[in-house]
Amino acid sequence: MNVLDSHRRIWTLARFELTRLFLTKRGMAALAAFATVWFIVLYYLVSSAVTIVSSEMFQDVARQLFGALGVSNLLEWPVPELAIYWLIAAYLFPCFSLFSASDQTCSDRTRGTLRFISLRATRPEIIIGRFLGQILITSILISITILATVIMAAYRDLSLITDSVFHAIKLFIDLSIIVLPFIAFMSFLNSFLKSSKMAMVVCTLIFGLGPFVVNLIAYKLPIAMQLNHLFPGKQITDLLGETEVVIATYGLPIIQSIFFLIIANMIMKRTSL
Amino acid sequence: MKTIIHGEGLNKQYGHKHALINVDFTIKKGSPVALVGPNGAGKTTLFSILCGYIIPSSGKVSIMGYPPGDRALFGKLSALPQDAQLDPRFSIAHQLEFYGRLQGFSAKKSKREVERTLELVGLRDVINVKPNELSHGMRKRVTIAQALIGSPEIVLLDEASAGLDPLHAREVREIVASLSDDITFILSSHDLNELERLCDHVLYLEHGKLKEHTLAAGVEGSSRYFTLRMKQQEEGLIEAIQQLSSVIDIVATQDREYLIRAIANEEKTGADIDVLQLCFQHKWQYAQLFNGKTLENQLF
Repeated sequence: MNVLDSHRRIWTLARFELTRLFLTKRGMAALAAFATVWFIVLYYLVSSAVTIVSSEMFQDVARQLFGALGVSNLLEWPVPELAIYWLIAAYLFPCFSLFSASDQTCSDRTRGTLRFISLRATRPEIIIGRFLGQILITSILISITILATVIMAAYRDLSLITDSVFHAIKLFIDLSIIVLPFIAFMSFLNSFLKSSKMAMVVCTLIFGLGPFVVNLIAYKLPIAMQLNHLFPGKQITDLLGETEVVIATYGLPIIQSIFFLIIANMIMKRTSL
Repeated sequence: MKTIIHGEGLNKQYGHKHALINVDFTIKKGSPVALVGPNGAGKTTLFSILCGYIIPSSGKVSIMGYPPGDRALFGKLSALPQDAQLDPRFSIAHQLEFYGRLQGFSAKKSKREVERTLELVGLRDVINVKPNELSHGMRKRVTIAQALIGSPEIVLLDEASAGLDPLHAREVREIVASLSDDITFILSSHDLNELERLCDHVLYLEHGKLKEHTLAAGVEGSSRYFTLRMKQQEEGLIEAIQQLSSVIDIVATQDREYLIRAIANEEKTGADIDVLQLCFQHKWQYAQLFNGKTLENQLF
């Protein structure tokens, strides 16, 4: 009964996150920015995917560019729209998820709203509920953009529909796993920071200066290079290039997510509300 | 009566400041309990510990057999925390229904609960309004409604009537009085008159130390106490009352207020009747004759 009650509370909290995106000004502004960016991506890049990948004029440039990025395998994909989509989405969705998940608990804690909620849900339930809510939001947005890409590919050549759907499902799973540690990382920052703005600033500093600091430490202490595994998204390039084994590409983000959620929970348990 | 909250050796330190020092107390199910004390005495700290918002530095609290914040207390203990605000981005209904859903109610039942509790605080008509569109007092009443969702057994109200106009402060008192058969309220307030009307049991905190107090019924041993408040300063009042045979002594506690110690004798007419007759004879206008010491006089 306790477990069922706990699942119900987590699900209630997760669903409330959806309304935070779709019923608030901040959420609507984020959605508007998201829609604009994806309109540009779909209209100018994805729709021109065939030209970029297969035309004589762009082929050499594309090979050099994709080769430099270590993703030349994408040129072999049967549906070029999805290849271009994948290349862009793998970097855009983590950025969007960081922004969208930047206010999971901090403003509620500062305002005192979390005091009302914590009389009805445990702190771990609040963290997991909000984390799942953000996953739900991002998954919905991933689905919409993938669907748009599949429709564009099918519109160009209907015979690609089977390949497109198969690839689209795989991309949906890959993208959903990619964003997990980014959202969990924000859950961790939210457990002690007081505002979403501060969370974004700290996040930028960590992603910007973190690898530099790790390299500096690793210069004296080589084992410190392992600290790079703490940064979400480390596996994205390998995943795009399809050069890593499954455990590293899928296991690392899941382990990172669990790690950040455990730390967030430990901090939240000790934090005064 | 059944013990519902028991605190033992509670300490809370913020750096070098001791907010609570070895606080022991027991609260039994029943009539409202007052938590009083000067600013910075540790009232909100104690409230926050009971709600599970902060962890004590040492000591134990048991609420109906569970530690504060335990999931077993969801729906049984609720609170109006001081300074806590609802989310300004959502309507009152949206947020309170969400709290109802968290407490395990269906969408329909949550809606009904929200309507019921808002009706209790006289705010049924603002159900679809956002918190920022309400006055401070109305927002306070909405958060009181939030605390009454479901069937809580313990409700902690921290400064519930602060910032409310007299009419609505009275409404809150009436809500507490009317629900106190089913709910044990723990009230923190600076308004001692309000607490006096509602509570028999007082927890008095000062510099982090707690003194438990039961409001005296007016009789202490062979003496009986009355508090007399006059409308204006009357010449010779103290001397005249002092000469009454039923009165032992009288002291001025503050401007136009006197504490009368009388002989407790149920056989004869009481000092209260004698004092009223004296006022009538001298055409002295009294404002109030209170049976016993006021809470203020008992505490300070």
